[in-house]
Amino acid sequence: MPQRIIKWPAGVIKWIDQRFPLTSFVKHELTGYPTPRNLSYWWNFGFLAGFVLVLQVATGIFLAMHYKADIALSFDSIQHIMRDVNYGWLLRYMHSTGASAFFLVIYIHMARTLYYGSYRAPRELLWWTGQGLLLLLMATAFMGYLLPWGQMSFWGATVITNLFRATPFVGDQVVIWLRGDYTVGDATLTRFFALHYLMPFLIIGAVVVHLVALHSVKSSNPSGINLADKDNIPFHPYFTAKDFYGLGVFLIVYSVFVFFMPDSLIEPANNIPANPMQTPNHIVPEWYFLPFYAILRSVPNMVGGVVAMGLSVMVFAFMPYLDRSRIPGGAHFRPMYRVLFYVFLADMAVLGYVGYIPPTETSILAGQIATLIYFTLFLQLPFVSKAEERWLIKRGLPPELEALIASEAHEKTKRGKR
Amino acid sequence: MKRLLTILALCGIASLLHASEMELEKVTVGTDVQTVGRGAEAVMNDCHSCHSMKYIRYRDLVNFGMDRQKVDGWRGDLSLDAPLLAQMPESDAAQAYGKAPPDLSLMTKAREGGVRYVYSYLLGYYLTPEGMPGNHYFPETKMPDVLGISGVTEGAQRTELQGKARDIVSFLAWSADPHEQERHRLGYYVIAYLLVLTVLLYLVKNQVWSGLK
Repeated sequence: MPQRIIKWPAGVIKWIDQRFPLTSFVKHELTGYPTPRNLSYWWNFGFLAGFVLVLQVATGIFLAMHYKADIALSFDSIQHIMRDVNYGWLLRYMHSTGASAFFLVIYIHMARTLYYGSYRAPRELLWWTGQGLLLLLMATAFMGYLLPWGQMSFWGATVITNLFRATPFVGDQVVIWLRGDYTVGDATLTRFFALHYLMPFLIIGAVVVHLVALHSVKSSNPSGINLADKDNIPFHPYFTAKDFYGLGVFLIVYSVFVFFMPDSLIEPANNIPANPMQTPNHIVPEWYFLPFYAILRSVPNMVGGVVAMGLSVMVFAFMPYLDRSRIPGGAHFRPMYRVLFYVFLADMAVLGYVGYIPPTETSILAGQIATLIYFTLFLQLPFVSKAEERWLIKRGLPPELEALIASEAHEKTKRGKR
Repeated sequence: MKRLLTILALCGIASLLHASEMELEKVTVGTDVQTVGRGAEAVMNDCHSCHSMKYIRYRDLVNFGMDRQKVDGWRGDLSLDAPLLAQMPESDAAQAYGKAPPDLSLMTKAREGGVRYVYSYLLGYYLTPEGMPGNHYFPETKMPDVLGISGVTEGAQRTELQGKARDIVSFLAWSADPHEQERHRLGYYVIAYLLVLTVLLYLVKNQVWSGLK
């Protein structure tokens, strides 16, 4: 009796392709995905963020196998992981360092977007899904920080959940609802653990949306205009090779922290078990929240502080409308915008430092000035960007930019004729 | 990256500013069995009556390579798997000192300044003009001057006590981070491997991109 033999792997793939778009998906979205050839190493960080996400989920699942979400046991269970579980110290340090690495990578990824104007049309939705991802990441990190049940875990969670008192009319109820109790306690710990385990999977879902948006509008590039087809190259092997090299460099830096200075990212006070009766000398969040924390503290009124802090995180979403310049190439061809970009970075550094030190009269004043600069930078942008555009056109654009714009127009008409 | 570097630089400056309030003494901890063992002995004699080290078991001391007979002497009838609990019940200690003496297992990680702080604190006792003991680094401390440094004026005796304090913080550093040596050893291999891998990946990248017109 003749048998139908399915040849491995060609036959199997053909069998699948008749039922599921495997080959075409891989070709369109992975290997053959057209990518601008002029991307610099600053475009590596999206891939790195994805990598760190996988790393956090993988280490987190194994940590959860040994962790106990119970205020009487959680601090001890972390020590159990650090001392008794085989390579538990490695898992835990990879996870705690990974949180910082995640924010570092995301902040560089965002800074690149701001510098090169990658948020502009048609990439607004791509930018907004990224903004959503940032919020999810912040929430996940905040909840994860409670789990070791150290002093800073407890007091950080107390301070931040307390901010929801600013909610109009139902503030007190919202705080109790979030904590599951009148104070941060066992009910808070168990729900934060549940949510800390859930949210990474929401993040993975949001990353898929982010990538769908990316693959619809394609990557931006340093020139700031859509390149001609001949200047796009397949993702594989060119960018797989480039991304993996970047990954190697990232892993070296990451390993230096994991193996040689893992405690530099953990506050000493968090090695003291949570004690609701004793407030630490001064409560600091993790480094990645410091600038926003400084903005919160800079406004004397609590509701005002909460609103300012919320705005300072959400203001990035308005960038596609705040930046009205049509000059392509981001900060590269825009001297004023470039200066503003570096002022922004410096201002973030000042805010971070102010958030880190215990408040003094000088530091509060410095924080208020930095907060004012922070919001001024965004609010003046519609006017400065337009003025800059007029000034640049009047002065005459650099020849390379003229050539870019001309080639883009040429491509457009060519496409239109087709 | 720039932002992180700036923050790190500023934090560095900040920690310098804080340290200048009361300069911490410099100390390099020992990681060898002799130093850590001497430190364990000092802790068992001078600290263990009030302070627990609940994340350390007697078996951990033996596994680290300390003298089995000494460890057996310390544990008495207790199991090898018993944690190093304080000899004085916590409630008695709390009554004697106003608050329970803290567990020491994580002490060098639980204070700003780490081993340097603990070392400076142990040697920071002095006698006030009224003859009362005080501490430069932790004025509110309830702990008596266990090393007896406050009464010492003679240089040789002081050096001896500095050595003892160094042994103690060496033991405490080990108990706060017992896998540190293993972590460093593995770290050298991992980073060496990554360096080779990254160079290769860089060459691969150049090779791939060289084919591009």
